[in-house]
Amino acid sequence: MKYETVIGLEVHVELATKSKIFCSCSAHSYGAEPNAHVCPACCGMPGMLPVVNKRVVDYGMKAGMMLNCHINRTTTFDKKSYYYPDLPAAYQTTQWFAPVAVNGLVEIETSKGKKSIRIKQIHMEEDAGKLVHDIREDTTHVDFNRTSVPLIEIVSQPDLSSAEEVEAYLDRLKNLLRYAKVAECEMAHGTMRCDVNLSVRPEGSDKLGVRTEMKNMNSIEAIKRAIEYETARHIDAIEHNTEVLVQETRRWDDIKGKSFAMRSKETAGDYRYFPDPNVMPVVIDDEWFNSIKASLPEFPEVKRARYINEIGLSEYDADQLIKSIAICECFESAYAECGSAKDSANWLLSECMNILNSRQMSYDMLDVDGKALGKLIKLVSEGKVGRANGKKILADMFDNRDIDPETYAKENGYIVSNDTSLIEKVAKEAIASNPRAVNDFKSGKEKAIMALFGACMKQLKGNCDPNTLKEILIAEINKI
Amino acid sequence: MDREILRRLELLNQLRLTEEEKQTFLEFFNSKKSNLEALDNAVNTQNVERMVHVMPVMTVVREDVVKQPFSRDDLQRSAPETDEGYWCVPRVVE
Repeated sequence: MKYETVIGLEVHVELATKSKIFCSCSAHSYGAEPNAHVCPACCGMPGMLPVVNKRVVDYGMKAGMMLNCHINRTTTFDKKSYYYPDLPAAYQTTQWFAPVAVNGLVEIETSKGKKSIRIKQIHMEEDAGKLVHDIREDTTHVDFNRTSVPLIEIVSQPDLSSAEEVEAYLDRLKNLLRYAKVAECEMAHGTMRCDVNLSVRPEGSDKLGVRTEMKNMNSIEAIKRAIEYETARHIDAIEHNTEVLVQETRRWDDIKGKSFAMRSKETAGDYRYFPDPNVMPVVIDDEWFNSIKASLPEFPEVKRARYINEIGLSEYDADQLIKSIAICECFESAYAECGSAKDSANWLLSECMNILNSRQMSYDMLDVDGKALGKLIKLVSEGKVGRANGKKILADMFDNRDIDPETYAKENGYIVSNDTSLIEKVAKEAIASNPRAVNDFKSGKEKAIMALFGACMKQLKGNCDPNTLKEILIAEINKI
Repeated sequence: MDREILRRLELLNQLRLTEEEKQTFLEFFNSKKSNLEALDNAVNTQNVERMVHVMPVMTVVREDVVKQPFSRDDLQRSAPETDEGYWCVPRVVE
């Protein structure tokens, strides 16, 4: 019998706000001392009242709009009870009854074509703290720096059916949320985490099978492996009665390549959601709603169409550029400065990509001033700076955003010389010391001139217009 | 209310009831069941919007600005045990 996998995802995304969701403590604690960013509210002291951070609601709404959701204009917070030392109040303040966004739709593309994934809801909530178990044997150490850091949880309907689709869906979420600048979405940094709900059923059946959940997955590769393993385990259980499938939470062990049932104690929770009496309803009026709507970025597909139809880029270049908002923004300012879309795209997709790759950085980590890149492109295309030297300047621009290419080129001797007497002198020297290349060229091997060309360029440190040099070389050879 | 529901309530409320207490709770809850059923039958709540709060109020929001008015030492002064800036609790994993 043929089976199909049914997958729904719950994706937690840390919002890129400065402060926490319900108090004014810093939301950024990377490298900070334990409990350096805490206050009575986020460490659950009795009687402390939460005050909602407006930007969290802004970003929640914006994320909802990016994923084509309906925005609940009255959105409320609820208490989710669970008892564990990483949650000092013994409940998490989250949204259950009226989340900020519901009923969305995300389009993904895989090798099998396009598919729409329905979004059930997006809710805003606070993160939990961090427990450290390896400092002392008898004790767990608690750090509340991460407590109350704002998250959104994006809950999909069970519309995904393969690891490939899950990867495409996560990439799409990342892309859209980064375009909206509401989140970093970097799994390796823990700013995007994923719970995978999976079941298996006979192909074509409309009845869902027994569902298992794998929590806190934090790499796409691990998620893909876990999906493949769980699918095989479910099919095996159904076909060969190897085990009885039960609805449970499982832990994925990526080193062993297996999932394990968590102890029943850990899954016995009944969260007993109820409206949080400490946070009043958040009412989003027209002015607030419209201001967020007006702040939405141009969507990737719209950008793509504009790049192709209005700017005249190839489909390939447009597809590469829209993968990252950082690349798009750099491209657009470079293009505005130098006036050549093709040159801007080329410099970004070849030279900038080479540098990013060599430094093991992702597209989104591009941090080059687009206007300065445009100036550099102009210097090279006008022949004022040689291409090789242009690349050197670009590499330095990756380290220092303040570099002005023209000043930098002048200061470092990268400006192409128009001094033809100097070029003639260098050409004559090259000709004198490379008689073989000269003879080869004269006997019809046109490529032989490249040896002379290279020698001259080296001597001139690349600061020479290639066409001028070539003309002078040929003229000098013809004199012999 | 049956023994299974009572067992779950015990677990969720971190209680350990004696047999006698269990019997008392079961009798108490079951005696209230008819009251609840009467209410359920008397009032039709089908199309009534969910009440979020007894008063028509909405929350105030604050701007996204970082402030740090409390020091860690102040907050940890009443803690039974701390260690290098951490709060300490009995070990929760095996």
